[in-house]
Amino acid sequence: MRLIFAAALAAVLAGPALADPSQGVFGSTDKAAAQRGLLVYQTVCAACHALGAVHYRDLEALGLSPDQVAGFAAGIKMQDGQPATLDDVFRDPGMGAAAFGGAVPPDLSGIVAQRAGGVAYVDGVLTGYAAAPAGVTLLPAHYYNTMYPGGQIAMPNVLRDHAVTYADGTPATAAQEAADVTAFLDWTADPNLDARHEIGVRAVMFLVFMSGVAIAAKRRVWREVV
Amino acid sequence: MSTEVKPSWTASWLPFISNWQTGLAAPVLVKEAPYLAILPWLVSVGVIFLTLSGLVLAVYYSPAHAFESIQFIDRNVHNGWLVQSFHETGASMVFGAAYLALLRGLWVRGYKAPFAAVWIWRMAIFGLLLIAGWIGFTLSGGAMADWSLTRAAQAALLLTGAPGAFGTWFFGGPNGAGTLPRMLVFHLILGVLVLGGVAAANSARKAVTPVPPRGAVAFHPYYTTQYFVALSVFALIFAVLVFFAPRFGQPFLNLVPADPLVVPAKLLFPWYLAPLSGLGSLLPGIYGGIIGVVGGLGVLFALPWLDRSGPNYRPGALYKFLTLVLALDVLGLGWAASTSSGLGSVLVMVFGFWYFLHFLVLTPLVTAMEAE
Repeated sequence: MRLIFAAALAAVLAGPALADPSQGVFGSTDKAAAQRGLLVYQTVCAACHALGAVHYRDLEALGLSPDQVAGFAAGIKMQDGQPATLDDVFRDPGMGAAAFGGAVPPDLSGIVAQRAGGVAYVDGVLTGYAAAPAGVTLLPAHYYNTMYPGGQIAMPNVLRDHAVTYADGTPATAAQEAADVTAFLDWTADPNLDARHEIGVRAVMFLVFMSGVAIAAKRRVWREVV
Repeated sequence: MSTEVKPSWTASWLPFISNWQTGLAAPVLVKEAPYLAILPWLVSVGVIFLTLSGLVLAVYYSPAHAFESIQFIDRNVHNGWLVQSFHETGASMVFGAAYLALLRGLWVRGYKAPFAAVWIWRMAIFGLLLIAGWIGFTLSGGAMADWSLTRAAQAALLLTGAPGAFGTWFFGGPNGAGTLPRMLVFHLILGVLVLGGVAAANSARKAVTPVPPRGAVAFHPYYTTQYFVALSVFALIFAVLVFFAPRFGQPFLNLVPADPLVVPAKLLFPWYLAPLSGLGSLLPGIYGGIIGVVGGLGVLFALPWLDRSGPNYRPGALYKFLTLVLALDVLGLGWAASTSSGLGSVLVMVFGFWYFLHFLVLTPLVTAMEAE
């Protein structure tokens, strides 16, 4: 069932890839990676985690067409049995603490901004599972994770090679899936990054110019008195 | 037939404009005042900017759903993220200018007669800004902000007498559904009070600033051009922060929604509140915290009397050196109060002790020595 859903999702997402993978101060959201990450998110993470700050309509910002987003939402059955609409927030799976030994799966909307290390931390947790070293006794229903503070996490290692099939042909290794879903969550935590940097470059250029004009005017006016 | 010149429309109906024009053109100012003397003006420009951006935020903000409503502004209001970032970063800019203006005031002894009244008004503005800044922080509804509010409200309930009565009235009891709506009202009214303080400080400054006997210049065009330079550079720094470091100086754990069942290991504050939070943690107990915060601000108010030199003494080398050490001390205090390492609590003690030592012991001693 999950494979069928993933394949349907991959077909929906097979649109033009709008990649701009530059990062850094002038970086923008890597939309191709975030689109792949959305597929991973919906196939794997959404089973337990909510994404309460994101509406389905927001996905258009990732470069999906309105039809693609509508198709994506229509494929999701909300708690009341109706298909999701564009104005619904991501379906809350309503996972209680009982399922994971007392640990409630956190809402992931802002997880990248809420954790020290941000992207590196989220990617590190997803890829940080290892066998517990000798001398470490794991708590019941916990797993050893090198990135998680304290080393014991209640979330099992959920990413496997080929858990999804990417429409753009990217090999779906577990590490690739982790990087992609991290890119998606980076976008959900900071959805205005692209607009911010785009306006920012123009604003800073203008203000540098204005400061230059101001300094020239000040010198010109003061030349006659000093 | 009358030969009188018909007064212009603005002179008849908006006479304050011609008053401004006369004031701007009057040659009463010294030549080439330093750029740093513009900092208090930048603070008031920043406060007006915060008032306008805060007005936009206030129409979308709901104190009953503090965290969610800011998420809503950031994600679902057109350009809401921009206005929210304007307000948050604008607060950083106002405090940056205020801290620098404070440092310059210490450096040039701007609190000496006849400027003592101006200094007191400016310290009142600084105190009001810090209170408004803290309340604004609590309005974010994040984990750090909400727990800070919870602790303050609980502390107020434990006070007795007049402070207790005021605290209970201010917070309205323990942190609950009614607390943030009160904080919102106080945040707005404090902004207005700051603008009133700016007006009072300006008139106090004008009353005591002497007109230079020779070579005085008018505000326009000389200082309008200089202020324009300062404002452009101020706006440039602001734009860099807004667009490329929008969370500058804010504790990232405050981006986690508040949970009444999850207590932060250590309360963290925005950078501009961190030094004061360090002073508040110097002494144990509720009254210890109040003494630390009130005392930390109180020594600034008392500076005109702590400085033992006469009116005509220029600051000596030792005093200037100690002022720079104090600046580093306050930076260190803020850092130590914001770090979660065990060293932090020790360094808060050291830096906090030096802060009070500087004002209560070293300042009277050094100024009296240098005045001889």
